[in-house]
Amino acid sequence: MFKLPRKTLINFALVACLILLVSNSLSCFKNSLPLTIRPGLSLISLLKRELRGFIFYHRNMIKAEESDKQIEALRANLFDLREVYQENIRLKNLLSFKQKSPLCLIPARVIGRSLDSWTSCVIIDKGRSSGIKSGMVVINNQGLIGRIAESTDNISKILLINDPSQGISSIVQRSRQEGLVNGTLGANLIMRYLPEDAQVAVGDTIVTSELSHIYPKGLLIGKVVNVGCEFSGLNRYAIIRPAVDLNSIEEVMVIIP
Amino acid sequence: MKKCLLLLAIIILLTLQLAWPGFLIFFNCKPDLLLVFAVSLVFYLDFKTALIFGILSGLAKDMFLPVTFATNTISFSLLSYLIHILARRVSTETNYVRFAIILIASFLNNIVAGLGIIRAGNIIPLGIFLRNLIILSVYSMALSPLIFKLIKKITT
Repeated sequence: MFKLPRKTLINFALVACLILLVSNSLSCFKNSLPLTIRPGLSLISLLKRELRGFIFYHRNMIKAEESDKQIEALRANLFDLREVYQENIRLKNLLSFKQKSPLCLIPARVIGRSLDSWTSCVIIDKGRSSGIKSGMVVINNQGLIGRIAESTDNISKILLINDPSQGISSIVQRSRQEGLVNGTLGANLIMRYLPEDAQVAVGDTIVTSELSHIYPKGLLIGKVVNVGCEFSGLNRYAIIRPAVDLNSIEEVMVIIP
Repeated sequence: MKKCLLLLAIIILLTLQLAWPGFLIFFNCKPDLLLVFAVSLVFYLDFKTALIFGILSGLAKDMFLPVTFATNTISFSLLSYLIHILARRVSTETNYVRFAIILIASFLNNIVAGLGIIRAGNIIPLGIFLRNLIILSVYSMALSPLIFKLIKKITT
């Protein structure tokens, strides 16, 4: 067996204890030494780096070019992934809405928008072959979107709720006050034919009423953002912000009655 | 060949107008490329061909609008005819005159579309009516040089 003499061991332990004692007791020494040599070390490392950069200039240039290309490719990938991620979230929401909803729904994708600014419509990728007929109501997980205006075998045109030809019988959810919601071609809708003493206030939720023969009862239309009095003074009106952002809809659900 | 290219141009412009990018929509207005195309044809082609392709442009537009009556087909053909009559009396060789004609044609077409909605009993706020009328016409006119170039390339 390998055996150290006792004397050597004692000497070694004593030296170690001494070093520990010195290093612990002289903390100022411990701190000041690195501080003293730090500028020198920094300078040397800077010189080394510059020298290496100078010597390997060509190799670094090629590496930088390659890295730039990789960054561009990765950035493009990231952009694609972000799109996929957002689409995934939207589709997940739609799927969970479809599973929870008691209505029979057909999902469809928006493939085109209105040709001019005098009508507000979108075109979807499903038509008669998928069971979609004109007059059917279109929604998404946020609320009411519109109704099918025309349907061919493979595509359908949806008339959005902000089209001026739309008239939706609706009620204020809180007070059950009835009115008619019309499109204005703008970002907001207008609820008309409200009596002078109508119970409607800013922030109230507007939903479809059971009087409507086209739209099922209770579909969310939007929230009241302003209440005013009509020019004649006989009726009041309410400006409604639609629950759905009609300018950016990408996926929709068609209700099959 | 030229006629096939003109048909292809209608399809391309129709697709472009249907899928007009969101960042190029100003105040909810996008340009009426098919109208500009139909009107510009009168400047570069003989009246008969221009009228036929003007009608085709109008038909293509009406096919993708939710309104059933062929307003644009009639409007485009009428505008082509009116510009043809005007071209016999006024020189339409300079670009400024052409821009002015496009602006007026677009303005008239928008008035017809807007009044059609009002006549049907629907109400549009005055601000939105004027916004559509002015911005749409000016926007269409602003993009007309591109359509002129496209037709020039096809016809030469």
